[in-house]
Amino acid sequence: MNRTPSASVQFATLAVTAFALAFLIYPTAWVFIASLKTPDTMFSATRWSMTLENYTRLFAAGFGHNVLNSLVLCIGAVLLSTFVSVNAAYAFSRFRFRGRGTLFATVMLGQTFPWIILVTPVFILFARAGMLNNWGSMLFVYVAISIPFSVYLLVGYLRAVPRSLDEAAIMDGASYFQVVWRIVFPIMFPGIVATATYAFLLCWSEYLFSVALLTQEEMKTMPLALYIYFGENVTDWGNVMAGSALTTLPTLLLFLPLQRYMVSGLAAGSVKQ
Amino acid sequence: MHANAKGFVAFALVPAFFFLGAFYVYPFVFNLDISATDLDIFQLRDGGRWIGLENYIELLTSPGFRRVMFNTVIWLTVVGVTVRIVLGLALAFLLDSRTIRAWRLSTLTRILLIVPWATPPVVAIVVWRWILDPRVGAANQFLMWLGFIDQPIPFLADANWVWPSIILIITWNTLPLVTLTFMASLQSLPGELVEAAEIDGASRTQLLRYIYLPHLKPAIIVMAMMSTFWTFNNFIYVWLTTGAGPGTFTNVMATEIYIKGFIDGRLGYSAAAGVVMAMIMTAFGMIYLRYVAARALVEEEDR
Repeated sequence: MNRTPSASVQFATLAVTAFALAFLIYPTAWVFIASLKTPDTMFSATRWSMTLENYTRLFAAGFGHNVLNSLVLCIGAVLLSTFVSVNAAYAFSRFRFRGRGTLFATVMLGQTFPWIILVTPVFILFARAGMLNNWGSMLFVYVAISIPFSVYLLVGYLRAVPRSLDEAAIMDGASYFQVVWRIVFPIMFPGIVATATYAFLLCWSEYLFSVALLTQEEMKTMPLALYIYFGENVTDWGNVMAGSALTTLPTLLLFLPLQRYMVSGLAAGSVKQ
Repeated sequence: MHANAKGFVAFALVPAFFFLGAFYVYPFVFNLDISATDLDIFQLRDGGRWIGLENYIELLTSPGFRRVMFNTVIWLTVVGVTVRIVLGLALAFLLDSRTIRAWRLSTLTRILLIVPWATPPVVAIVVWRWILDPRVGAANQFLMWLGFIDQPIPFLADANWVWPSIILIITWNTLPLVTLTFMASLQSLPGELVEAAEIDGASRTQLLRYIYLPHLKPAIIVMAMMSTFWTFNNFIYVWLTTGAGPGTFTNVMATEIYIKGFIDGRLGYSAAAGVVMAMIMTAFGMIYLRYVAARALVEEEDR
């Protein structure tokens, strides 16, 4: 039985849906549109005049450098954090060992821990060690902030990988390391990519640690640069919108194909099987 | 356990716990130490003078602290989370409705729904600050065009509007995740259950109360808890939207810690505020652990 609602209910549902989605999409869509508008038509809903000038001006001001900083740092952090988290999640998921529950709880508590508290001590420790404005320390911070959530998600995805597969490989004489990276990794690849995407977004939009630990102009990441353009006395909206569009584009491209996996990972603890 | 297996577990866990220990545990313990000193930003290298619990006493008795707690608990957490759960549920029912499926719009609506979630918070804040701007923003232009107002409203500077505006921005940015989780839960509900109830003549309210809500309950609890610690801990939504202003009107725990530490340079006092915040969050973390995290491993063992 699959009753179709009456015409008026259908019309009301479609109208409310269209309104809700328009509200959800408008701000992001506007970023992309405004980034292409000339300064004199920027705030007009009716007059249009398109240009790429905002982008050329942004890059002339050195934004390319910030893009590169963010890209290198985030890709590095995602690769390292994924490697560490996949191994840890596999250990938690497949082995019984002393202290397993406590250790797993410690990882999970990392998710609820407010990072703002760590900024002061981390800043002091790095300042004393002469590690401010240092890529190594930023990489360390980004790997550390993404581990708790990544391990939680990966343990969820690992449940869908049949144990018989890895047990058979062990019988055939494979080492555990080989099992993780040759057998389990390809099977749960979509889940790993979804996890890596979360880690990437975390790092890509991170503001708090970078504002405290990166003070040198040439080391700043995209979110910092964006806020510098934004914070000037007279905001150059063309610049800000072009920078915002460039910051959003990679995450949008990553999220669209992956949303199904990302939601299923997050919902793992909440949807009854 | 096999010796080989022991070796692998050590190999797999040591790097993860190196990061957790060096980033969360050690700085937190160090923070406890700083919180008992008058360390300020100009004497970083020598360390401060030991002053015992003075920072904590000053913090808990300061008039501003009440407002900070009220803003953090009531506005960010209670209002912010409730709005997201209620709107998330409404939107999930809407997008999972028979009409949307009959018109074959599921894929399209799902893709469009992702957009705010894929927008980095920093960009979300920038664009909403533009929309809410009294001079050039679209919100005021639109409301004036409709004739609802004849003077632009300074949404982020007016005490009556500033909290609803912050909640609006956070909700916009995070609603898709909540909605998609509820939709996943709805889709795991066996269709026969609803049909059987309908044949038995159950009303819409009865369906909602006896079938949908009990089924959605675990998803609601998980999303409420995750949203709570995501907003309670969040710094940038308030800081980059209003800078805790007007005045200190929207100051929350996270901005208080930042302002005291990095603007006023009182690192000791800021550390004490951090310890108080961590204690509140740990109490909450224990509940989360019991409900969500424990299940991640327990369900594993059931197999």
